[in-house]
This record gives sequence, structure tokens and C-alpha cells, in this order.
Amino acid sequence: MTTGPVTTSYAVVGKSVARKGLLEKLTGEARYTSDMKLEGMLHGRIVRSPHPHAEVLSVDTSRAAALPGVRALVTPFDAPQGHIAADLPVLDSRVRFVGDEVAAVAADDADIAAAALDLIRVEYRPLPHVVDAEEALQPAAPQLYPDGNLATGRPLLLERGDVEQGFAEADLVVEDVFRTPGHSPSPLEPRAALAFWEDGQLIVWKCTRGVHQDRAALASALEIDPENIRVVGPPLGAGYGAKDETRLAALAAVLAQRAGRPVRIELGRDEEFLAGRVRHAAVLRMKVGLKSDGTVTAVDCNAVLDTGAYLASGPGVLRRTAQAGLYLYTCPNVRYEGRLAYTNRPAAGSYRGLGAPQGHFALESLIDRAAGQLGIDPLDIRLRHHVRPEGQPGKRTTPPGEIIDTQPVEGGIPFSSHGLEECLRRGAGAIAWRANRRLPNSSPGAKKRGIGMSMLIYRGGPGGQSSAQIRLNRDGKIELVSGIMDVGEGASTALAQMAAESLGGAYEDVVPVFADTATTPRAPNTAGSTATFSTGTAIVQAGSEIRERLLQAASLAMDVPVEALDIRHGMAYLEADPLRNMTLAEILQSAGLDSMYAEATIVPGSPDHIVNTFGAHFAEVEVDTDTGRIRVLRYVAAHDSGRIINPNLAINQVEGGISQMLGFTLSEDLLSDGPTGVTLNPSFLEHKSPTIMDYPEMRVIFADVVDPIAPLGAKALGEPPCVGVAPAIANAVYNAIGVRFNTLPITPDRVLDALRKQREAV
Amino acid sequence: MNNPTANLRDIELRVNGRVHQLTVAHHRTLLEVLRDSLDLTGAKSGCDRGECGACTVIVGGQAVYACQMLALQVGNRPVVTVEGLANADGYHPLQDAFLARDGGQCGFCTPGFLMAAKALLDRNLEPDRDEVRRALAGNICRCNAYGAITQSVLAAARAMVARGQTQ
Repeated sequence: MTTGPVTTSYAVVGKSVARKGLLEKLTGEARYTSDMKLEGMLHGRIVRSPHPHAEVLSVDTSRAAALPGVRALVTPFDAPQGHIAADLPVLDSRVRFVGDEVAAVAADDADIAAAALDLIRVEYRPLPHVVDAEEALQPAAPQLYPDGNLATGRPLLLERGDVEQGFAEADLVVEDVFRTPGHSPSPLEPRAALAFWEDGQLIVWKCTRGVHQDRAALASALEIDPENIRVVGPPLGAGYGAKDETRLAALAAVLAQRAGRPVRIELGRDEEFLAGRVRHAAVLRMKVGLKSDGTVTAVDCNAVLDTGAYLASGPGVLRRTAQAGLYLYTCPNVRYEGRLAYTNRPAAGSYRGLGAPQGHFALESLIDRAAGQLGIDPLDIRLRHHVRPEGQPGKRTTPPGEIIDTQPVEGGIPFSSHGLEECLRRGAGAIAWRANRRLPNSSPGAKKRGIGMSMLIYRGGPGGQSSAQIRLNRDGKIELVSGIMDVGEGASTALAQMAAESLGGAYEDVVPVFADTATTPRAPNTAGSTATFSTGTAIVQAGSEIRERLLQAASLAMDVPVEALDIRHGMAYLEADPLRNMTLAEILQSAGLDSMYAEATIVPGSPDHIVNTFGAHFAEVEVDTDTGRIRVLRYVAAHDSGRIINPNLAINQVEGGISQMLGFTLSEDLLSDGPTGVTLNPSFLEHKSPTIMDYPEMRVIFADVVDPIAPLGAKALGEPPCVGVAPAIANAVYNAIGVRFNTLPITPDRVLDALRKQREAV
Repeated sequence: MNNPTANLRDIELRVNGRVHQLTVAHHRTLLEVLRDSLDLTGAKSGCDRGECGACTVIVGGQAVYACQMLALQVGNRPVVTVEGLANADGYHPLQDAFLARDGGQCGFCTPGFLMAAKALLDRNLEPDRDEVRRALAGNICRCNAYGAITQSVLAAARAMVARGQTQ
């Protein structure tokens, strides 16, 4: 149910207004966590394990403690015994990857802290290690945990229908194994946390994507009442899902308590590569059965994901890997079996898209291959067999009245809105698909061109329970208060636009007050592309309430019926004669009010529909068969994300996701040396993240869809652009040179190797 | 430890048009002095090894990685940081353009990009798109807002030419 102004033309939503908070970043005034300083602040550093797996037998800090300027130390043997997460104490006497935290020190300045690190003597007993997920699941593998290396002890099994029956009905069965890298999100801002104690209260400023979740983790770790902890999220230099850990803040808090002074820990770039969250490297065995007309009769996927040394958000990623196979094509018979393997590598986490890029790479590459074998154009097979607005065949299993999961397995439920066909058609038109298709490997010359495509499905926005508070003040300013964290993606902008729109205020008057456990209500993590939908729904409800009251007050003051009035851009006016108007401040004054306040807490979602977003991606590549280099020349991304709140921001989001995933597809991996477990390439230069020289000519298309469930019609957009990139490019490479790459990244040496084999096979 | 005072040097730094008398340890980088001694935190530390450009400032008219230059090396060359872009007349056209065209997402790379772009426009007010990209190739944006950044710089250049503004 959409609430909000009953008007077909919006005042603020749909406009490319300036991003909130950007001006301060353009002037250098914005203070990120590592820009913050306090009187007497100490600098913290962390001792990290050089071993991939070891018992910590002892930590001798005596020489470090004797160094002038060293103010506090913490080791596994004297740390608080609480837990940040079930498998993560504040410090552990067992370390599980090269770079794992062992101890921490705080000193008067960064130089002394660095010198102190060298003076801390750790005695380790090295243990056998494993850095490959499939190896880790073998019975003889070194075990990271008493219950073994299979996280949660059992695989995730999801089914609909009967895949064996489906394969029996198929005219063609194709299967293949796909491998994707555990690359690093490496946001440009390294993680930092600043902690201090005041009157028995702990105050923490930290890189965060959810201040309330972080507070709960700190309370558990330090074994204190969450009421005695305040967590604040300063502007964030992005995370892409990588900044959801809390151990840094816990260590800073312990050191600050011991020293009696504030402690700031900020990581170096090498530490971010060594010990930051990575994407789950995946091995996917995908099998698809099809009729000769391309109808999909069965999809079976078996996935093994490398979750690294700790569980983190592994279960969510494992689940999301499944969704492409379960839901993208109309199919009565689907099955997914997924396993998370612990390995002695950095913990994997929620890197943008979670497991969807992995799952879509496997499925969309395999469908492309099947289409080729059936003699069906890849666009046509998708146009004919993509999941329809009425959803998957089958029977609904969610009880009536209960909110539908945005990642369902069950059939029998329609989507709330569905723009996938529009995305396919308009995207294909924009890249001139029919005109540019050629036979694989048919270009003359050394530089060969080809085009390829993919489509995608993703959660549409409903997340956890969300709240918002709006206060319109006498001076006309509109305080928008929410616990949600703007992680740099623009939540504060989109939500401010929705607040202004629903209330009738001016966008410039909205002041977002976000991400402070002391002053903002509980909100979910900014994750899973849910902020706009979930917090937005609460905002529209609260804003609409204030709008009603403003209209009533204006109607009284102007002595006209409410129905004759409209409110836009901070002014209530008579529709028949707009020169008769009152500003919001004047309305408050006329009513003798200091302010108007409304709050809303909602649980987002629908009991009758699946809220999902969709997309179709198209790539034109050029492969230089002499050097193996792949250039992406043109890229078209068509997305159904419902109503687009801010076109500039949305285009930036989509283009950014595409460019970011060029790394996943063509260049990035975090390499672990087998014998030593050491990360071989912990730097930007060696990890090979995309630069400004790499992005292709991009065209972004938004489907003309307004979702009836979503607040002001807007669905998720943060992650979907990341999901279709790898298969679109890989399929284009196949079209260019006739080689299928099932392993990412598709680096030049892999291309040259494949071309050599192709020549030898002739 | 060595005698800490033996490592100290008195230097004079010209930053954003102001002269600062400072005493710094000889191994301090320009980035550290800007951020810690002068509280100019616009330039960021993204990698501290000259691979990301988040610390880009202008020294003697050249875009440099402040993390790769010792404070002692600056001498009397004027230093310009992002805090020195705006002046009494208002924001720099680059700042206006980035705001209007959404040239930043999380904003962490933005000061570095602004200074690299300013160094380009200070010597070439009519770059084409390839020249812009090459001039900014030493700056990483992990949000990958490269398209919006490039458009913003081109728009700023056009605005400056239209106004007859050279700096």
C-alpha cells in the first residue's frame, strides 16, 4: 500500500537533487572516523598472526609495556571473555588465518605504537592449515573448529518440485563447474574505530553499517549493558558490505578503558587486504535440463563457498547464491545444495550482491551455452522463459497473512511488480542486439568483438522492522531521525527526498539525523539493498501524518477547505490561486505550535506478493588475441527498481556497480599461497582494482515501473547492478572468440592459454 | 630509542595561501603534517604507499601524492589542498560541478580527485574525455563513480571557459 501525496507529478522524488552531505566532502570539512581527534587520544595498533593456523601459547608484553609512551595492552589471556559473535571472542588464543588479530597496544603516537608492535613477543604452536574450500571439506583436512569445517554442520538444501523428473523430461541436459574469486571489496577508507569512556559509559565512533547492531555486539563482547554504550556512525568511506565487523571497536574500547584515555585504531591498507572481509570464493556445479524450445525443466545447483576463518554473514551469502537457479527462469523443478567451508583465509562477508553474482554467473553462462546448443538466440531464450509476473509454478507454502520472503523457494505467488521483460527488450534495443549478433569467433583480425547478455533477479527492498521520526520545527527545518546509516550510497539523500515529498516540505530543509544510538531509533543494518524500501516506508507514513496536520492547520488559517489546498516545496497553497499561500513555518506559527512531530515503526513487505527487482545487462567486448586483454567497449544495463527517487544518484549507483564488478570478472583475486597461507597480493596495485581507464561507455535504462507495495513505488537498487556483470561479459567473450570461461577472473594469461589450446585442437 | 629531538626540523610551509612555522620530525610525510599538525584532514590516507591517490594535493603546481613526499621536501613551493579550493568569491567550479553532477558517492576519494582535476585544469582548460581520464588515472574510486567524476570535470572546464576563469 503506497501512502503519500495523491498526485501524478512529484515535487522532489524523481529529481536529481544534490546528494546530502556531499558539499562537506567537496570542501574537506566532512570528518570521517580517522579524521576525528580527541584531547589525549592514543593510537592503537594490532599484532597479527604470521601463521595461517596456530595456538597462541604466550604473549610477552613486558618489553612493550616498558617503552615510554605505551599506555595499554591487551592479549587473549587478559581480554574480556565476552563474544562479538558466536565464533568470535574479543581475542582468541587460537588464530585461524595469516593476519588474524592476536593482541593490541595503545601508545601516545603512531610511531611509538609501531615500535611497540615489534617488542611484543608471541609464542605460537603452528597447526596444519587449509586454504581451499573443497579441500577443507575432505575428511582428512585440518579442522578449524571442533565441529569440523562444514559451517553449521550441514548443507543448505532448498527444493521445489522434482529435479530428477525434470531432467527425465529434458531434451537437452547441460552441466558445468564454475569458479569465482574471493576478491576484496577494499573500500578506500580503511576501517577505524575511536573509543572512550565517560562516567561509566562507553562511546564509540566507528566505521559502521548499523549502530544498533554494533552496540549489541559490543555489549556482548564487553559483557556490559547496551544502555551504557553509545555508538555513532560518522560519514563512511563506503563498505560494500565489508565494514560489518566489530572486533576493532572492542579492542579500542578495552585499551581505552585500561589507559583511561581515548583510543583510535585505524588499519593500514595492507591490513585491510589481509584481514578485511572478502567475497565468498565459490565452486558451483550447475546442471540445467531444457526442452528443445528452451523451456527449462530442471535446475540443479551444488555450491561450495569459502567462508574463511569465521562465519560472519556466511549463511546469508550461501542462501543468496541459490536464488538465480531457484527463481530466474520459469521452472517447476529446482534444487540447491550449498555448503559453507571454513578455511584458513580471511573471513568472507557481505560484499555487494552477496552470493548472487556467483549464482548468476554460473546459471547465465550455462543457459547461454544451452541456447547455443539448441540453436536459440540468447535473448529469445530469456524472453520466452524468464520468470513471469505471476511467479513460479507450484503451491504457496507461506501461511496466509504472513509476509512473503523476498527470496522465496515456493511457487504460486505473484510479484508485486515485474519489469524484467521491459528490461530485456529495451536493453536489447539499446545495444542493437539483433544487428550486432554474430557467430562466435567470426571476427577477422587479431582484435575480435562480440556481444553477450545476462538477466538478473534480486531482493526488492523489504528488510527488517524499521522506524523513523520526523520533526518539523518553527524555523521550517525538517529533522529526519533514523538509526539507519548512510554508507556512502546515498540513503540520506533518497530518504530525505521521500520525507520532503510525503510531508510537502522543501528538500533543502530536510536535515537527516542518522546513526547514533543515543538519539536515533533502532534501524536494521544498511544491507541487502533494503534501506530505501524499509526505512522509506516508515518515513512516508510519518511524513504523510504531518502533511495531513499541516493541511488542517493551513485550511483553518486560510479559511479554505482542506481539499482546495496542496503542499509542495515547503509551501501550502490554494490550487486555484497559488499566490494565496503559507510557508510551513507560517502554518506552525498560525497554529501556535513550536513543532509538529510524527513517528512510525513498520515491518516492511507484503503478505500477497514477492517484492523483487530485475535487470538485464548487455556487453560488447573486444578481445585482443595477441595480448589476451579484454576491453569492454559498450555496456547497457536495464533495471527495474520501481520508481527512481534520484536519477543522477541511481545512474551513478548502476555505473559504479558495473565498473566495480569489472574487477570480479576480469582482474581481481586475493591469492593465498598454499604452503604458507600468506596473502600474496595485499595492495591495490597487485589486487588490480578497476581504474578510471577501465570503464566502458555505459547506458543505463530504468524500466517504467512503479511498485504498488513500495514507498512511493521505489524498490532496491544498491546491489542489483553488481549481479549481471560477469555473465554478460563472459558470454560476450564467448561470442568474440568462441571460448567459454567458467573460471573468473578472465585474465589475459587465461585468455592466451585458452586460445593456444583452441589452436592446438584444430 | 634515538633522542627524539635529534630528528626534529624547523620548517616553513605555505599551505592554501598561509604560511605556517612548524617543527616536524624529519621522517614525517607531507600528508601526516597536513592532517596532524595543521588539522587539514581533507587529504586522506587510503594506502600510505602511493597507490590510490586519496592524498593528492598540489605542490608547486603539480599534483603529488602527499604520502610519498616528506614535509622537508616541500621547501618554499606553495601547497594547495581541497580546503583551499573555495575562496571569498565562492566555491570552485569543480566543486559546483561535482555537486551538480553527483561526482562523489562516499566522498572519500573526492578531495584527491578534485586536486588532481585542478592540476589538470590549471594547465589545460579544454581537455577532452581521454585527457581527463589519463590525468585522473592515478586516483582510485572504489565506489567506481568514474563516469560521474569524468563528466563533472568536463562540466567544470566548460564553465570556467564560459566565464573566462583560469584558476
